Amino acid sequence: MVSYIVKRILGALGTLLIIMAITFFLMNAIPGSPFLTEKSTPQMIELANKKYGLDQPLLVQFKNYVLNYLRGDLGVSLKMQEGTEVSKIIFGQGKFELSLKLGLLALALAVLIGIPLGCIAAYKRGSWLDGFLRVVTTVGVAIPTFVLATLMLVFFAVQLGWLPVKSNTLPDFKSYIMPVISLSAYYTCYVAKLTRTSMLDAINQDYIRTARAKGVKTSKLVLKHALRNSLIPVVTYLGPVTAGIITGSFVVESTFQIPGLGRYFVQSVLNRDYTVIMATTVILSALVIIMNLVVDLVYRLVDPRITLTTKGD
Amino acid sequence: MTEKFAKISPFMVDPEPIEKAFQLQDGDFERATSDEKESVVEKHKSISYWRDAGRRFRANTVSMVALFIFILILLFAFLGPALIPYDYAQQYRTAQKLAPGEFSKEEQLVQNVGKHCDGFFATTLQAGSLTAIRKGDYYISADGKTYAFNVSKAIEKAILVYIKDSETPLSVVKMKDVNEDGTWNDSTPIETTDTPAEGATQIKLVKSVFPHVFGTDSAGRDLMARTMFGARVSIIIGIAAALIVLVIGSIYGSISGLAGGTTDFIMMRVVELIYSIPEVLIVLLLQVVLKDPLQAWFDANKTGFVGALGDLGSGIVSIFITFALLYWVTMARIVRGQVLQLKKQEYVTAAVALGASKWRIIRRHLLPNAVGALVITTCLQIPSAIFLESFLSFLGLGVSAPMASLGSLCSDALESITLYPYRLIFPAVILTLIVLTLNLIGDGLRDALDPRLKK
Repeated sequence: MVSYIVKRILGALGTLLIIMAITFFLMNAIPGSPFLTEKSTPQMIELANKKYGLDQPLLVQFKNYVLNYLRGDLGVSLKMQEGTEVSKIIFGQGKFELSLKLGLLALALAVLIGIPLGCIAAYKRGSWLDGFLRVVTTVGVAIPTFVLATLMLVFFAVQLGWLPVKSNTLPDFKSYIMPVISLSAYYTCYVAKLTRTSMLDAINQDYIRTARAKGVKTSKLVLKHALRNSLIPVVTYLGPVTAGIITGSFVVESTFQIPGLGRYFVQSVLNRDYTVIMATTVILSALVIIMNLVVDLVYRLVDPRITLTTKGD
Repeated sequence: MTEKFAKISPFMVDPEPIEKAFQLQDGDFERATSDEKESVVEKHKSISYWRDAGRRFRANTVSMVALFIFILILLFAFLGPALIPYDYAQQYRTAQKLAPGEFSKEEQLVQNVGKHCDGFFATTLQAGSLTAIRKGDYYISADGKTYAFNVSKAIEKAILVYIKDSETPLSVVKMKDVNEDGTWNDSTPIETTDTPAEGATQIKLVKSVFPHVFGTDSAGRDLMARTMFGARVSIIIGIAAALIVLVIGSIYGSISGLAGGTTDFIMMRVVELIYSIPEVLIVLLLQVVLKDPLQAWFDANKTGFVGALGDLGSGIVSIFITFALLYWVTMARIVRGQVLQLKKQEYVTAAVALGASKWRIIRRHLLPNAVGALVITTCLQIPSAIFLESFLSFLGLGVSAPMASLGSLCSDALESITLYPYRLIFPAVILTLIVLTLNLIGDGLRDALDPRLKK
């Protein structure tokens, strides 16, 4: 077990290095300089390049990035908050906190509503309730998030005035409602669909029939025997999704005007703030890799028959 | 023994027909004719995999309804623009910000004129804004007659009015002479001949102004024309991206699965690597990086394949590149899984024993058998590409005006959402319907093509 985790972590470091390289060369391929503005003169750009080490050869720059990252130094922002440490921008200004809060709530909603809905649909297969849920979830995964978010904003905030138009830093309960719902709608519906399919698979297995013949109560049958076995696809799906969802959604954060990470990430790319782009990519990839490792470990909890090996499937 | 009992018990056989069947006659021993032989073959015709799958698909009501709606959307997107007189890029200065079905002041006047004549023509209605009838030869066919005439000097701000059975059926009415109710104070008759001059343009008379069914945007462009065009662009993006993913993913996956061993291990590590890349950021980076070089490339090559790509614009082409670089991994994994499963089958072993090359095995044995999974994954890939494009449009990176996609129409509508909510509703509903129907069709295909999955 421990050697498995160590091997995975070593592999992850290699993956991160390659992702850093890809990001580095991609962002340096963006035409123009991050310091190019209407007012800047060639001398100013040259000075700024020198100050941040951008005048050095690309390979040297890349080496510096890697060495600094190994020391835990993410560098300073070049543009958007010039001179501020990137780690401070990401973790120290409440941005990550906002996105994390929204993301965890949305995730909780997806799990707490999606899985039970999927179970009910599978259990009542063929009934009107199943049909109704099928329509709702299928429509739910087909609506683009920005359409849903905007429609909610127009209807509940502008027309009816029930909820605040700007959620800002999420000061009260009301400001959470629309961002969380629009963020989680897609995932909730997807999880419900996924649960229904895998639940149906599980229900048709022989051991369920055996348990039923033994006289196990229906509620126990669904919750203990069937659900446990049908959770694997859901866990596989939710793992990497978690990484994306807790680091903020650009669409939701810009629609409800929340100063979170998702919005800042996108702005950093559009503004060519090299150090922020690099830090963002590395943090996000690291989260995805960690979540995938967690998923593999959770597999074992859900299904003890699965053994962990580093070999391919 | 009652009749009822005889029906219920499967063990009871009515003795009558058996006796009859065994009463053989001479005729029964004659040779079967070729017709009879054929009819026996036809009765037990073997059903091919595709026919069987088609039958299962047709039996699936939900998927059939989805397919029907999707075909309607295809007609809307690809045939629709030919049926309406408006163009997606044309700006009609006098017809800005109209609500659905609303006419601009000028269009309303022309509409009223229609009540007092038997047909009219105005460049306005073909082109939208009342400009001019340009210089040239024209002819009109109406009520079985042909009226040909020549316009020697462009007629500004006027319409051509046709009144049946009058001495001079065609006349020009200037807009300034038109009253509020559609009557007019003054008109200039046009001299007509029966035979059109060579190269004359035909003009079609209309009875009313074509309405702006979805309204118009702030630049005065007809939103229905734009929605049709946008739906076409979105569908093309979806299908092209899905095909790119299909080709790359299936080649990569089948090589990986077939080679096995170290090759497979390395190839799958690459797939895992791509899985760990935060796609939104890389997609954004790619968009920004590719924009200028692609544009320069298109500007340098205006003809042939590159020229055709250039018409799509750099935004769309970089979406294709993104899909080619990042989105094939799911397809590759699925194909690899299929190949791993299939390559252990006896018929593949037999092909290997007979000396078939690896390429032949992939082409003849593995891909055809994995085709069900390929079709389903491709079908479900289309919505994902449409979603990605609409997300990029939301950021302002997708297609650029006057080009339109459903995503860009939605994101344009967001700027004035409280004033003109219908501008969002129409493209958003079409976008949702496309994704919805494709998902349902994909589900139906899975049930039809892969009966093992059917429960």
